[in-house]
This record gives sequence, structure tokens and C-alpha cells, in this order.
Amino acid sequence: MTLQHHFPALIIVIFLICAFIMPLLFRWRSTLCAPALLLVHLLALAMAVALLVRLYAGGPFYYHLGNWAPPWGIELKIDFLRVYMVLILVGLGLWIFVYALKDLAHELKREVTGWYYALYALLIGSMSGMALTNDMFNLFVFMEICGIASCAIISIKESRECLEASFKYLILSAMGTGCYLMAIAMIYMVTGQLNFQLIREALPAAAGLYPNNLLVATALIIVAFGTKAALFPLHVWLPDAHASAPSPSSAVLSGLVIKIYAFSLFNILFFVFPASFRQAVPINEIVLWLATLGILFGSIFAMVQEDLKKMLAYSSIAQIGYVFMGIGLNQPTALLGGFYHILNHALMKGMLFMVAGVIIQATGRRRVKDLNGIGHVLPLVMIAFTVGGFSMIGIPGTGGLISKWYLAEGALLANRLFFVIVIVLSSLLNAVYYLPIIINAFLNPYEGREPVKPVSRLMVGAITAGMIAVIFFGVYPKPVIVFLKAALAAVIGM
Amino acid sequence: MEDQITRLTSRLVVPFIQVYGIYIILHGHLSPGGGFSGGAIFGASLVLMALAFNLSAGVKQISHQSASLMESGGALGYALVGLIALLWGGNYLANRAASFPLGRAGELFSGGAIPVITVFVGMKVASTMVTLFYNLIEGEAKVGDPEKPGA
Repeated sequence: MTLQHHFPALIIVIFLICAFIMPLLFRWRSTLCAPALLLVHLLALAMAVALLVRLYAGGPFYYHLGNWAPPWGIELKIDFLRVYMVLILVGLGLWIFVYALKDLAHELKREVTGWYYALYALLIGSMSGMALTNDMFNLFVFMEICGIASCAIISIKESRECLEASFKYLILSAMGTGCYLMAIAMIYMVTGQLNFQLIREALPAAAGLYPNNLLVATALIIVAFGTKAALFPLHVWLPDAHASAPSPSSAVLSGLVIKIYAFSLFNILFFVFPASFRQAVPINEIVLWLATLGILFGSIFAMVQEDLKKMLAYSSIAQIGYVFMGIGLNQPTALLGGFYHILNHALMKGMLFMVAGVIIQATGRRRVKDLNGIGHVLPLVMIAFTVGGFSMIGIPGTGGLISKWYLAEGALLANRLFFVIVIVLSSLLNAVYYLPIIINAFLNPYEGREPVKPVSRLMVGAITAGMIAVIFFGVYPKPVIVFLKAALAAVIGM
Repeated sequence: MEDQITRLTSRLVVPFIQVYGIYIILHGHLSPGGGFSGGAIFGASLVLMALAFNLSAGVKQISHQSASLMESGGALGYALVGLIALLWGGNYLANRAASFPLGRAGELFSGGAIPVITVFVGMKVASTMVTLFYNLIEGEAKVGDPEKPGA
């Protein structure tokens, strides 16, 4: 067996090993830490691409950890959607990390930087694990790692707000994983399986005998992943947590972490529950309506925020709603829109949080009111903000339009005109809070005596790269769309 | 607090606790217990030292640096055992499939990679217990009363 055979496990393992080495490396060779983590990201990216190549050659395949086949062992499954997620996680993780290289020096004490790198590696590794695993309990373990790492990556700043926010997040996230653990227990009780595929085969028989068990398990799963992914009304932890964290943490938490939970919910709904079960219980309908509420209320809450990062955080609640809407509509085109939005939103929200970080670092301002004329002193950065804002609204030429377009088309194909109206309405709501910032930044004069501090070129470079990517995926979405169409056809056709 | 009875008792008890912890770790593949429970028992003995005497006496037993070294080393060792399996032709974390010598069931040296992994887990858990305890105590000393703003 060649090394290539082991790539699915290695993608996760190299991040974990990197996380374990990092504290030691930081103690003795602190300059090597950042290059090591960069190298690991690049290696993982190369492996993910190799997986993609192998998928094109031979279709989905499985990897058995420890050579134990299910039902005994843990199984990793590699299919197009999962590799799509891994590519997003590792690729954008690399991008945000490049930004973090310079930003952290301003936000953190030097002695915790090594720990920050360790947490970052742990976070990306556990998310890759969540994307690849085909085992309910293994998913729980990765969720726990991811949850703890997210809390730590917020609280590492050690300011009062950070500690409070991460404590709140810790409690709610523990509640989420607790719900999920109980759901696993309920399902295991009646099916005796933990593997996705094996549960799927055992569920129809079990559903007839123990319907209540499975209903409770379903409810628990929706609550668990809803809490983790900030599905409305379970979003209460998100604004504080994402707003008070260091900017790279906000970018990775808002851009990647909430998406992976949405993806896991999708995996469970579509790969664990048989289609007949989803028709008997209105899971999709519940997710759809909660997503709709999130889309509307997230935007409405965002409008009244005074703090820039808090506004972006509330906007995340609205945007994750689109992903859930794609899942809820249960229609291939809408799902395509939802999945494309995972990539788009990760890009634009990551970029917007980076912009917020640069503004705070350069001028010390973080209130929306104080941003008048900031476009005159930080032109390139504010142009990136403009592109990000336009993409949130869905103005042509940006990625946001494409995902909203497919979502709306999916809603029409499913004969749900109401949700098209929701999408249009939410675009207007987005415009209400993004456009004033952009207009004030460029058309008002800059007030303030204090000099603007210089910002590292690397940070501005990362933001520019993000801006180009947002425009690229808005102007030339074809490759990703074709890829996702083929991937989803296999899922929905099941 | 300087209490002669506590000090004498813990001084007497600590070696036994440690031996018991090591026993549980080493017999992880044979009997109930294993890396986590054994490591927790071993870590508790070190915490007991720090409680009965004081923090500096505890730090003398195992310093911060060696605790974090053991912490990273334990986790790293676990991951590397998995990689060795990979080198020997199995999947990640494979045991028999990667031709680890299994020995006779029931003997101390049996079970292939499992006892090795258990030892690493024990290391990790024991040092984590100690680090957590130190951090709790020192955090209080450093920051002061968390309820008072600006402290």
C-alpha cells in the first residue's frame, strides 16, 4: 500500500501532531513555529488535492482506521462533498493563518502565541476530521475537540469580554455536544450501530418498533447542531464570542467553524436518516423555518449594532441561515446554492473580519459611527470591505449573488415562492447596514488627529487576495458549480 | 496551612498512590482501568503533595516545564505510534495488521501497540492534571480576586 492510501487519516493527523509539537517548539525554537504550521497547511492542501484526483479516477472510497472494518472500527468516508469541505477548511485556514502571522503580534501577549498556533492547528484538524468521518461517535469526539479549541481561541486574549464570551460559548457548546451524545445513545439503543451507513440500513426496522426514541434523537440532533452552528434561536452565544475574539479567530470561527456544523447536520440528515424518515418527520421544514427566522432577525439585529465586529457577527447568523435554507428546502438546486454559500460566506466574512482587524489596529476605532471617511486613510482595505459588503448584499459580480441566485431558483423549483421573497428581503436588509458604512467611509471627510498606524503588507495582501477570490467566484463560478452539481446529484439521487 | 498530620500521612501515602497509578496504567490492556484512570491517580498524588505542603514543594516534584513536556510528549507519542503502524504496512493506528507483536493474551507484555499507547495516555493525563491544578492556583495568585474590576 502506498502512502497515498493513507491521505484521509494523514490530513487529520498532521494537524494534530503539529498541535502537540507546537508548545515544545515554541519553547525552544519559537521562530520555527509559524513556518511549521504553514508547511502543515500546505501538506494538507496537497493531500486534499490528491484525494480529489483519486476521487475523479475511482469514485468515493473508505478508509478504516486501525484496519478495523465497521461496525467495529472508525471509518472515514471520502466523497466529493467531503473533499470540497476539506479543501475549503484547509485552503481558507491557510489564508487566515497568513493574516494571523502579523495580526497576532498586536492582539496577543508574545508568550501565548505558541499556544495560539497549537489551538489553530487543533481547530483545523478537528474540523477536517468532522468533514471526513463516517462514524457518529467519532464525529462527537471531533466536535468536542473543535468546541474546546474554539473556546480557547476566543479566551486567549484574556480580556474581560473575551473570558465572559468564551465562558458563555463553553456552556452552550457543551450543551450542544451533550444533546448530540444523548442522540447517539438513543440511536445506538435501537439500532446497535454507530456507522452512518449501518445506522441507515438498520433505521427503517427500528423506526417501526421505537418511533419515540428516534423522534427524540432527531430533535436532539437539530438542537445540538443548531446550537453549534448558531441556527436562530440558538445563536445567543455567537455575537459576543465572535466579536470579542482576536480578529483571526473571528475570521476562522465565523468563516469556517459554524459551517462545518451545518455540514455535519447535512451529513446526518441525508446520509444517516433514510429518505422515508425525512418525509415522515418534518425535519427539513423545521430547519427551513428556523433558517428563515435567522436570515431575517440576524440582519435586523445587525442593523442596531454599534460595534463593527458585533455587526459582522450578527450578519453571520443571517448568512448561516442561507446554508440551512439550502438544506431545508431539500431540493438539488437550493442545496447547490447553500453549498456554494459555504465557500462564499467563508471568504467574504473572513475578509470582512480581517478588514475590521486592520481598522482596529490602524486607528483603534471599532464603532460603526466612527468609521466616517476611513476610506481616505485606508483605501485598499475599505475597497475590500466594499466588495465584501456587496457580496453580502448580492450585487452582481460578487460571489454572494451566485449562491442567492441558486437558492432562489431552488425555492422556485420547489414551489416555495415565499422563500424567494425572504431572500430578496434579506438582501435589502443587508444593504441597509452595509451600504451606509461604505458610503460614509468614502464620501465623508476623515476626522481625527491621531496618526494612522502603519499596517503590515502581509495583512493587506491577505485581504486583497480575499477580495480577488470573492470577485473571481462571482464572475466565474462555473468550475465550482459544475463540481457541486455532480457531487449533489449523487446525494439527492440516492 | 501547616499541619503535621496531613504532611506525614501524605508523605506516607504518596508512594503507594504512585505505584498504584503506574500499576493501573501498565495493566491497562489486561484489567479495568488504563491510561486515563491510572494517569488521573498518578496526577492526584502530585496534587496531594502540592496541597499538603505548598505549591513550591509541588513544583519541585514536577516543574512546569517538565509537565508541559510530558503533556505534549504523551499526545505526540500516541500519534506517532499510529504513524509507526503506517510505516509497518497497516492503516493508521493499526495493531495486529501492522504486525505489532501481540504476545500471549493475559501476559503483561502483550497486546501489541495498546500498552505503549496506554503509557502515553497515562503520561498525558497525569501531567495535564498537574498543569490544570497549577494553573488554577497560580491564576488566582496572579490575577487576584476576579470579582474586583481592574485587579
